[in-house]
Amino acid sequence: MAERELQDILRKLKSSSTPSQSKPLLSSAKLSLLKLSALTPLPNTPQSHLLLAREVFEAGALLSIRAKDTESFTRYVHLLTPFYELPADRLPATKSERSKITGLYLLLLLTLGNYGGFHTELEGLELRKEGGRVEDDRFLGYPIKLERWLMEGSYDLVWKAMASREVPSEEYGIFSEILINQIRREIASCSEVAYPSLPISSTKNLLFLDSEGAVVSFAQHRGWLIKDGRIYFPTQSLKAGVDLEGNQKEVSQLTIENTLGYARELETIV
Amino acid sequence: MPSKTPHTNGTDPVGNGVNGAKDVEMKDDAPASLKGGKGKKAKEGDEEMTVVVPPSKGQKLAGLGKKDGDGDVAMDGEEAVEEDDGAVKVDPVTKAVADIKGNFPLLERAVMLFDARFSLRALRSISSIRKRLTPDILAQVITETYASKGPAAESLLYAIGRENATFAKPNSTEMEIDSEAKANKAGKKEPKEIIPEIEIFLGILIQIYYLDNKTNQKGADVSQYLAERIHTLNRRTLDSLSARVYFYYSLFSEQMAPLPPSPSSPVVSIRPALLSALRTAVLRKDVDTQSTIIVLLLRNYLSTSHISQADLLVSHTRLPDGASNNQVARYLYYLGRIRAIQLRYTEAHEHFTAATRKAPSSPSAAGFSQSATKLLLVVKLLMGDIPERATFRDQSMERALQPYLQLVQAVRVGLLGEFETTIKQYGETFRRDGTYTLILRLRQNVIRTGIRMMSLSYSRISLRDICIRLKLESEESAEYIVAKAIRDGVIEASLDREKGFMKSKEVGDVYATREPGEAFHDRIQACLALHDESVKAMRFPMNQHRLELKNAQEAREREREMAKEIQDGDLDEDDLGGEFEGM
Repeated sequence: MAERELQDILRKLKSSSTPSQSKPLLSSAKLSLLKLSALTPLPNTPQSHLLLAREVFEAGALLSIRAKDTESFTRYVHLLTPFYELPADRLPATKSERSKITGLYLLLLLTLGNYGGFHTELEGLELRKEGGRVEDDRFLGYPIKLERWLMEGSYDLVWKAMASREVPSEEYGIFSEILINQIRREIASCSEVAYPSLPISSTKNLLFLDSEGAVVSFAQHRGWLIKDGRIYFPTQSLKAGVDLEGNQKEVSQLTIENTLGYARELETIV
Repeated sequence: MPSKTPHTNGTDPVGNGVNGAKDVEMKDDAPASLKGGKGKKAKEGDEEMTVVVPPSKGQKLAGLGKKDGDGDVAMDGEEAVEEDDGAVKVDPVTKAVADIKGNFPLLERAVMLFDARFSLRALRSISSIRKRLTPDILAQVITETYASKGPAAESLLYAIGRENATFAKPNSTEMEIDSEAKANKAGKKEPKEIIPEIEIFLGILIQIYYLDNKTNQKGADVSQYLAERIHTLNRRTLDSLSARVYFYYSLFSEQMAPLPPSPSSPVVSIRPALLSALRTAVLRKDVDTQSTIIVLLLRNYLSTSHISQADLLVSHTRLPDGASNNQVARYLYYLGRIRAIQLRYTEAHEHFTAATRKAPSSPSAAGFSQSATKLLLVVKLLMGDIPERATFRDQSMERALQPYLQLVQAVRVGLLGEFETTIKQYGETFRRDGTYTLILRLRQNVIRTGIRMMSLSYSRISLRDICIRLKLESEESAEYIVAKAIRDGVIEASLDREKGFMKSKEVGDVYATREPGEAFHDRIQACLALHDESVKAMRFPMNQHRLELKNAQEAREREREMAKEIQDGDLDEDDLGGEFEGM
């Protein structure tokens, strides 16, 4: 009984488009899963239930990504993990959205800056993949490439990958915005140190901004000086001055401290 | 007898023994490493090393066994002839039987004196017996040890597949039928009780036999039975033996199809058994089993790359202080692998360094130190260090480390092309070593080294040239990469966007910075710490100070007497020496 009910809900879920419609459907689906005791795969759960459960969770995960609810997405990923680990004869991998969801999860970890978690997850994929490399997968290869470029500093490649049609599915696009802001911050902090000054026109390309007006507002936001169509980075010189001053003080203080320390130690020895 | 003897304190001299006895997991993959014989750690069981027994002890044991077996020789000989009908074979069989039996007194003594040392010695002798084990020999030992059929002997015989072996002192045909046999047993007077330790010891021998013959399914069944038996027996003297039982148990499950990386491997199904055994071991303060099982579980999790679970296990358990050196080395190795995956390179580096240092130096453990060294090298590279050339010249390492040498060379010079060909060429080797994903992360280090080299050699270089030399995809990437390198402090330079070049800053005088001072300070600190350590490590004989006190007191007394005598005027002034005269 509960099974048929669940199938009904699933059908409705697929036809519904707005999150407000699907949310109550999802919770009722989870309730009926609970009735079937298929929330987690037990040794005696029948295959049909497993399939249904997986479908519900996958739908839930994708929905929460669309609703930009990362917390509930992470919850769904954790719920799905035991299902994905079942052997193929208990739960066939066909029709599964596994690589899509795993790829999204990787991307999420990336945007959160959780590189440790990212690599932990990746290590698992590397081993579990039968034949073929993980990087070749359309969904999984995307976050992996992005991570490599981010670590290297090839921000333009990241930008291109996100701007072009390379994004494997619409859900991946949601992260692009977050990532772009992150990249922009990175580039800004790099430029502050690397360039003595920058013309506004080329800064536009450098920061992937649309117009010079956007550059000006971004520069003001970061507290950069704009003079004669060029951007100067005050933080650099200011920081250096303070640093020198501070250092000078610190060095002499440190030397005194150290010498006193040595004297004390010598005293104890002699 | 109290169940808590000073186990950890008492085993100090045994430490060495433990090392010798537990080398089993430290395999040598030197011959296989290049042929590609092993996939990950899992298959290493095939190349398991035999234990290195110090020769003197081995001989002593063998001698012991012979002496003990002497009385039975005649009978053994007869049986052997009956079974194998070949005079040539008599000798090895008899000797093997005698050798096995030679260990029983040791086990008995271990129980009597409650001293784990003796059981460890028995375990160590396994390596010499190992190659000669056959079901017949085992059956013979069992039948001779257990004078009659009992449940213990029966299950052991069942385990080895010799259910209908005749017992050593058969009473005509009675043995044929079970019920009669039981009656027989009831009627018979046992000469002495066979202690459970012997039963488990025989069980371990059976496990080893199956392991060597790759009959994994049977081996796993036997192991399961043994584990249950140990659990019901609950004897503290079994501790060191039970660690062994679990060790082989998990080895069996690793070798059964489907092999570990697949999530349905039997490795996953023994986790609950191991976890509950761990809990029991912790409650019973069974240090041997506890440390063995923690290491086994880590290995287990890593074999299916359940990194986060392994991390949780580490955070919830603590390797007991009394764990043997080899278990500590393995623990550190696995911990290092977890940390390396989590990008915590500094910690990983520490763990791997400690693991390679703690690894036994005997050639039998070469596989372990190779494995740890490989990971250590990769982690070093990831941290931006270049390993020393001497590491690659080591005799036992040279061949196994060959791919890594090329890798290091590529990273050191910063040649991206060479780096990528190395990865392509040795990809399979790296995958097998479990270092592949770590090595992929090295790409950025290679690029950085390249940029650094260029910044050192040119005072001004166009982005275009950088792009060509590093084989980057575009000038823009080169610009971003250089900017990032500048920000991260890899190079001292500035960029000119309009003209498109990188201008290196003049390398300042190092002695004008605080760096020499810091280095100096570090060294002084190290020396002072060394002094403190040595003071702490000094030993003072007990009650020495009392002796001194006594001497001082005596001296004082003498002085007082002297003073008294002077006062009394008994003493001649001459007696007091010249000094007095001057006064």
